Amino acid sequence: MKNFFVVLIFSNLVFSELILEITQGIDDPYKIAIVNFYGDKDISSSINTIVKNNLQRTGEFKVIDENKLLTIPNSEEEIIFNDFKILDIDFLVIGKIIEEDSNVSIRYQLFDINKGVKVRNTTVYGIPNKNRQLAHYVSDGIYEEVTGIKGIASTKILYVTQDKNYKLIISDADGKNEQTLLESNQPIISPSWSPDSKKVAYVSFEMGIAKVFIQEIATGERELAIKNSSQISSPSWSPDGKYLSLTLYQDGNAEIYIFNIKNKNLTRLTNHYSIDTESSWHPKGSKILFTSGRSGSPQLYEIDLRKSNSKPKRITFEGNYNAKASYLPKGDGIIFVHRNNIKFQIALQYFEENFVRPLTQSDMDESPSISPNGNVIVYAVKEGEMGLLSGVTLSGAKFRLPAKSGSVREPAWSGYFR
Amino acid sequence: MLFSKKNISLIAIILIVSACSSMTVSEESISNNTVKTVQVNTDSDTKKLTYENKAVFANATVYFDFDKSNLSIKSIQTLKSVVKALNSNSSMKITLSGHADERGTREYNLALGQRRAESVRDYLVLNGISKSRISVKSFGEEKPIAFGQNDISYAKNRRVEIN
Repeated sequence: MKNFFVVLIFSNLVFSELILEITQGIDDPYKIAIVNFYGDKDISSSINTIVKNNLQRTGEFKVIDENKLLTIPNSEEEIIFNDFKILDIDFLVIGKIIEEDSNVSIRYQLFDINKGVKVRNTTVYGIPNKNRQLAHYVSDGIYEEVTGIKGIASTKILYVTQDKNYKLIISDADGKNEQTLLESNQPIISPSWSPDSKKVAYVSFEMGIAKVFIQEIATGERELAIKNSSQISSPSWSPDGKYLSLTLYQDGNAEIYIFNIKNKNLTRLTNHYSIDTESSWHPKGSKILFTSGRSGSPQLYEIDLRKSNSKPKRITFEGNYNAKASYLPKGDGIIFVHRNNIKFQIALQYFEENFVRPLTQSDMDESPSISPNGNVIVYAVKEGEMGLLSGVTLSGAKFRLPAKSGSVREPAWSGYFR
Repeated sequence: MLFSKKNISLIAIILIVSACSSMTVSEESISNNTVKTVQVNTDSDTKKLTYENKAVFANATVYFDFDKSNLSIKSIQTLKSVVKALNSNSSMKITLSGHADERGTREYNLALGQRRAESVRDYLVLNGISKSRISVKSFGEEKPIAFGQNDISYAKNRRVEIN
């Protein structure tokens, strides 16, 4: 079946606006040697570079360059484990580029140097013009085998840029391979992925007021979620994909509703004269987290959907501004925007700890979004008038995705595609 | 012939577990994600006002404190002249656009801008202006008029524009 494709070589030609910078790793990372995969040199070196960046960005790996190695094996038989042991290397990856008729695939093998054994042997079948994706799959396979945690190199990020126009853009998790979903001369905010990562919901001001749209990524087909005359914002998909929680302004005040996408029914969730917005679903669909001004300053509250008439329960007490929260993928804590004195930082709070852990240091950090494996948070930073995306891993590694041009904001991490 | 949907989302099927018990032998196919671009353009709608009334409303911007939507004494003075202008032209309709400074989250600021616009509307309605003549909307922090991260810019951006 794979044989029917025409090969289009290759992705050095892909332009990207975002440039990855790794600013801080963690102590004592895994040392891994990745030998350039055997086969076409151009394909091999670009794939090697992508894999190397992906692994280093996690903060958990230090990739040893090929020119530092004592021997460079092209096959399993050529590996001299001692040559890697001497250099303190923990893992070795070798691989082969397979160009079958019209298609590029990769077979790679991962070796545990200390044990002297092969621990993974995987073939990834590609499709034409998607060699970056191939490299991301290889990265994720290596990451998962070594750490036991699913990798996120093959996931995507959704974000908004503002230059001359506003654009809603989808890119690989490394900020490259960007593609525009929507371009408008009016603001776009609050993009949110459907749980199957095939659709997005977002707020567009193209009709003169904030309105929520649902758009299919592959076809560009889109629709206004609710066709009434009032302002609507802050969409968030339920984990089963059937509902959106939204903020409606029809009651003369921001209130959270649950919208049934199929039958268009609306169920009101909050009822308070102060602001209620920025709702987000628990990964099990059992609770909704939101920001409310009901205590006099923005604070985070949880509402239990399993009980009828359940009262919102306040969950943040530290700091005078806690907003835009989402649950960790396991549901054991939340990430949010936190202000203690004057700095807006991204923070983490585990439910069993009950205190705030600030994760970032600049003054104006916002819109945190967590990777589906729960390890990395991408967020928006303001530097002067420019917005850029930064990332921090829960293990403490940091990276930035500054734009070549324009201001970047409102990142949202996809689910898994792999 | 293209991949069927099933094949596209084929996930790491483990084919063989080799003699070495710790090793995973697997095959997977990458997913084919395509993206289609949509473009929209909106002409900003400008309300048709008489020249005279335009002059009144050009100055009619009401300012607020951080995270606040209540009206100051100065704002009330501004609104008194707006009430006067609306009373002298009973067919005129107005739009109140609420805004916030860039500090804080975008959605909360959108809601805050709306509250500010509504607190201006409440004042006008209390002073005899029909609710049906007033439309209210918010742009949150999306349309600043002053730039720079300083208190003066922030103060200028925390506003309700009347036009």
